[in-house]
Amino acid sequence: MAVPISQMWTVASYVLGQRLRGRKRYPLVLMLEPLFRCNLACAGCGKIQYPAQILKKHLTVEQCLGAVEECGAPMVSIPGGEPLMYPDISRLVKELVARRKYVYLCTNAILLKEKLEAGWFTPSKYLSFSVHMDGPRDEHDEAVCRDGVYDVAAEAIREAVRRGFRVTTNSTLFDGANPLRMRGFFDDMMSLGVEGMMVSPGYSYSKAPDQEHFLRRQRSYDLFRSMLERPKKAWKFNQSPLFLRFLMGKQEFECTPWGNPTFNLFGWQRPCYLLQEGYAATFKELIETTRWEEYGRKSGNEKCQDCMVHCGHEPTAVDYTFTSLRGFRDTVVASVTGRL
Amino acid sequence: MIQEQNLEGWVPGSDVPLAEVIDRAFDYRGNVTVERSDGTELVGYLSNRDAHAREPFVQMFAATGDGAITIRYADIRTIRFSGKDTAAGNSYAAWLERKAAAAAEGKPAPQR
Repeated sequence: MAVPISQMWTVASYVLGQRLRGRKRYPLVLMLEPLFRCNLACAGCGKIQYPAQILKKHLTVEQCLGAVEECGAPMVSIPGGEPLMYPDISRLVKELVARRKYVYLCTNAILLKEKLEAGWFTPSKYLSFSVHMDGPRDEHDEAVCRDGVYDVAAEAIREAVRRGFRVTTNSTLFDGANPLRMRGFFDDMMSLGVEGMMVSPGYSYSKAPDQEHFLRRQRSYDLFRSMLERPKKAWKFNQSPLFLRFLMGKQEFECTPWGNPTFNLFGWQRPCYLLQEGYAATFKELIETTRWEEYGRKSGNEKCQDCMVHCGHEPTAVDYTFTSLRGFRDTVVASVTGRL
Repeated sequence: MIQEQNLEGWVPGSDVPLAEVIDRAFDYRGNVTVERSDGTELVGYLSNRDAHAREPFVQMFAATGDGAITIRYADIRTIRFSGKDTAAGNSYAAWLERKAAAAAEGKPAPQR
């Protein structure tokens, strides 16, 4: 288990506090997208497929902080776009750290070494660079459609670790990933000195009969089971072990899309980070007027049937951990023994 | 009902309900031209729509960068899909096809 005790304690007390207040739907991680601009053009990435006037725009720091206050989540993930291209990223991170928010700055790391050398960031227990690494060198460079990016990112990780920053990796895996090569990739990432790794299946949606959905889910279970069964002692995952068990088909969780709300140029995205079905002007409006019953696997919504992505299911796992004896026991056992 | 297709250049006929045209424009990744009932036009990206609001509305970022600009459904005559579809041909599947084609010709994988 690679989540520091202080962060775990913050999350545990926050979740219990929400439950004591009787809040059924509460945010755990704010997905804050200050811009859509990126220095990569990964195939299929919807974030960069906007007209020029949208790609040129970005949120102000004040808009970002307003969203953070409004939402109240203890953790803030900054994806994008590429957040290191956001001109005010240094000030935004400082402000968030001053508010004791746990920040995950999700970056492809192309600019990371340069920004570290320029002194844009200061090491803090509240700041983690979450470096996008979709597998071993060949797989990663293919996923981002550019050769050489893996090596640049690996070098930036070494530099960040050397300077005392918290560094994690995040990997999105699609059908066809090779479990054996991924196990080697986990060894490589840990040897770079990262604090922990995050994995999630990619999102896919297609209209298909129930049997096909079942098979796709089964393929995901098989992939994650092959990768994560008998995990090596050296491997650390910066995520809930119960979520990893869910990916392996050992645990069933329903989606809680309000757990990772998304705020960007367009407002508060309904209903989740992946589906864009409209925007609310305020977080309150998002929570109170989104028809949540229309989403998640049980709803029968075709778009949710194959989804096992972390942004909907990890908040469920965390809630289960801190609100049920069994969830807490299973999390402790997995964390102590390292077995999933 | 129109089928899944590249909507670039689409000018909806009067037989297509406005709510459907707006939904299509919301899903479209390029700029569109909104024709208002008073004859004026606004070119930009349609970033939001709410058909369930007390007064249904769309929100746009103009091609000039201004926004978000709110326009009521009631003030819209129609929407033309006038801008380039920035998502067309950029799917992961399309990239894999280009890559396979390059490999078949003995060329390196296309870079982006």
